Amino acid sequence: MALSRREFLARGLGGSAALVVGSAAQKMPFLPHYASLSVQTLNFHISDAIKDMVTHNAINEAQCYFWVFKEERWPAEVPGPIILTTYRETIEITITNDLDEPHAFYIPGMFNSGPIQPGETYKGSFQASKAGTFLYYDNLNEPVNRMMGLHGAFIVMPAAPQPGHKYTPYVVPTAAVQRLFDDFGSAPWWPGLAWEEGDHDTHTLAFRQYVWVLHQASPNLFAEVGELPPGEIYPGDQFMEAFLRDPFSPTGDNRIPQYFTINGQSGHFAHNSPHLCPNNRVGEPVIIRVLNAGLWTHSMHIHGNHVYLLALNGAVQKNPLWVDTFTARPMDTFDWAVPFMRPPDIPNQRGIGRADPGLPTAGGGTTWPPNEELALFIPAIGERMGLDLAGEPIDLSVQLSPLCYPMHDHSEPSQTSQGGNYNCGLVCGIDFTGDRNTPGGATTFPAGGEHEGHGPEATGPAAPPIGEYPQGTAKW
Amino acid sequence: MPAFHIPRQSVIGMEGHWAKMFDPPNESPDTPEFVEPTNPVPEVMLAAGYLDRVTTPHTVQRDLMHGDDIETWDGLKELVFFLFRDRDNPADDGHFPGATIRVPRGVMFHCETQGHGPPPHTIHWHGIEPTPMNDGVGHCSMEIGHYIYQWQPNFIGSYFYHCHRNTVQHFEYGLYGLLLIEPPDAYFASIASIDPDGTYHLNDIPIGACSDGKFRIAANLARFPQFPGFIGGDPVEGVANGDPHAFTVPYDVEVLWVPDDRDSVWSDLAPDARATYPRFGSTPGVDDEFDRNPGHDDFFAFNDFNADYWFITGVAVPAHKGGTAAIPPGLVIPPELNSGVSGSQISVNARVGQTILVRCIDAAYNSISVTLPVDAVIIAMDGRALGVPPFGLYNSAFILPAGVPFHLSTARRLDALIRPTQPIDSFATVQFIDTRGQVPGTPEVVLMTARIPFVVTP
Repeated sequence: MALSRREFLARGLGGSAALVVGSAAQKMPFLPHYASLSVQTLNFHISDAIKDMVTHNAINEAQCYFWVFKEERWPAEVPGPIILTTYRETIEITITNDLDEPHAFYIPGMFNSGPIQPGETYKGSFQASKAGTFLYYDNLNEPVNRMMGLHGAFIVMPAAPQPGHKYTPYVVPTAAVQRLFDDFGSAPWWPGLAWEEGDHDTHTLAFRQYVWVLHQASPNLFAEVGELPPGEIYPGDQFMEAFLRDPFSPTGDNRIPQYFTINGQSGHFAHNSPHLCPNNRVGEPVIIRVLNAGLWTHSMHIHGNHVYLLALNGAVQKNPLWVDTFTARPMDTFDWAVPFMRPPDIPNQRGIGRADPGLPTAGGGTTWPPNEELALFIPAIGERMGLDLAGEPIDLSVQLSPLCYPMHDHSEPSQTSQGGNYNCGLVCGIDFTGDRNTPGGATTFPAGGEHEGHGPEATGPAAPPIGEYPQGTAKW
Repeated sequence: MPAFHIPRQSVIGMEGHWAKMFDPPNESPDTPEFVEPTNPVPEVMLAAGYLDRVTTPHTVQRDLMHGDDIETWDGLKELVFFLFRDRDNPADDGHFPGATIRVPRGVMFHCETQGHGPPPHTIHWHGIEPTPMNDGVGHCSMEIGHYIYQWQPNFIGSYFYHCHRNTVQHFEYGLYGLLLIEPPDAYFASIASIDPDGTYHLNDIPIGACSDGKFRIAANLARFPQFPGFIGGDPVEGVANGDPHAFTVPYDVEVLWVPDDRDSVWSDLAPDARATYPRFGSTPGVDDEFDRNPGHDDFFAFNDFNADYWFITGVAVPAHKGGTAAIPPGLVIPPELNSGVSGSQISVNARVGQTILVRCIDAAYNSISVTLPVDAVIIAMDGRALGVPPFGLYNSAFILPAGVPFHLSTARRLDALIRPTQPIDSFATVQFIDTRGQVPGTPEVVLMTARIPFVVTP
């Protein structure tokens, strides 16, 4: 069943909120998978919130206290909304500090509000002087203010591609990165679309890009910080010691992190979000920008495709490695290109990683597309049942379509929430919804029939900004 | 009171996916898109006397799991291990790490897998990219049960396999092994004849070598002429010209490094393989059981990893936290646990003028920093040879100078090629770096340093 608009609204933003600043960026469909607002100025309040985390439900309250960059037009969320603009755009920003200690808004090398005292408002402007992937964060009392939730992603796109070339995410791409983007959709080994290219007929959006802000949350430590008397500052070194090295406690009452998030979401809420998890066909390459706002190192492993490392900490790569796992140290940012090639170890005629025809199977089909597998429901229809909130039975079967793969931190202690609950941690995914290159044109795999919908096209647009948003509807 | 409340998102309309995410079904389906297997390795292993039998033709066996307790080097602890076992292999009744699986590129690979002791489990083939059912991740397909995994390796290189059920515990406790994709004529080259009854007879070509009698690895070494025997290929089409040795280079010595770390407190307090199995409730999203974590008071801190024992390819490193120690010289992996390949080393023992291939994978939950005593050329990362057309047209092999550390986080792999021009009596070092201690502006926290003997004689 495709979600109705009402049901979708109740799902909330889930880390999909974005602000697109400046006319050049607003002319281009740069953030097709996010809930984007076109704005001329940024209006932030620095505030606080209590958040219901991944394992939260009627029998197990799991909440965490945060500080938030609350943009006036979006509901509160951790991290703050994605901000996207174009190179050399001037951005006007207003920041009001509603908390009771000094705070700031900082983008390394581009902007520094300086301390904003409690109750005060900062007004200023800055220029997006570099293209790429950056964290914005509160750099006061490092790392406390950033770790408490005051961070988000700042994305700067080039306003135009290099003359005579296709779009890359960079103003000055390396020769290798430019060649990769020129080859997507052109070279015989990358059949399909270029990155800048969409296809109205297949509901494929241009400039497919995803932003993953990584973070770790400690409910015990964050509550301590929140409960300090007004004007008191939690010492940064003491915070680090508790967050990283509090003595082991098998019962979990220490102050190390218990929740591990991508754009504030964990487990199902990240992997099965059409805004965080790429849902695309073979031949529809995407970019994923990864930013580690936290204090733990993560080892990001993607299934289904190897990815090209395009840029690391602002340096566009001269030698873009083709990897399945990459290291995200604290404050690292990197960009991946996911080619969305057919998962290459699905049997095919030559077995050399190319989009060859499949092999004949015992069932009379071929190995690609894997129609027998795509038709399976595991669990089977009717095998697992639950009750909805009205007490009516619901079928918990899941069709193996589209082709579903995870992306997760392989440094596995982050795959938990509240100490256990495996797979409710720092995991997202990559789903293959079809193939552009099947004979006769693009195909779309079945999207679960009556059971599920996938992708923004199937589930409707992302949640709207304040005014239309169902405030406080914690409808689990 | 905080100014805002951020509600959890609804799972309405997604209850099936929600429940499957943390409570995957345990199933034993037939393999969809079934194709007859063609992997020659089990039959070659049988002909060489390393297997008792081949239960299913051309099919590798891996049961999981077999539990074991292994005493630590200092005699202070018994660590609980979860191990793979090969029912056809009398030498493999559970080994840490799991026996190496080698497969020629392009064959139809089948692995018959049974989960017990206790199930459920899966096998994920890390870096191999098949369909989701054959990828072995429960929430994207199912857990087993009994299943025949099917895929066709398309890229020569270094991979590994591991259980993806409750991975935080099962991978940590030892449910993994190396997975190496070989050139397409490896193993086939060692077959002299096949009787009508399916009995294989072997020739003199060493098991795992190619038809020219040499062990080969994928690379593009056009810029590095110091490695003799490199065979190029089409500069755009790569290996598509059909030469099984296109873009490969021979090596004389293979070295397998799998640094790992263990937390003995986890082993002591959470020996149960069924730890942290949350269950969906009668109304998914409302009354799920997120408090069924066998441990202390229904909670066990699998978020809190503190390594205190370290291993290189299953060999204990005799040092405590903060220390430095060497593993013994002369360690060689027996062929019966190495898909029949003889002579693969852990501690390096080579001669001047030989080509040494070092394959290194970080199986620790901490990062590692690897330092070699001699210049090396990094020819591949994560099972993808650098510079091999067409997908490697965007990158190239590069030099890792002697003494310069290379960092890998969990599950990353590198393949390094070395051709020493003079004798060496030294060590490679592997520093284990705390992933909770890589904070910008502060020194990295080195938990311990392992030294691997690296000896090159004239």
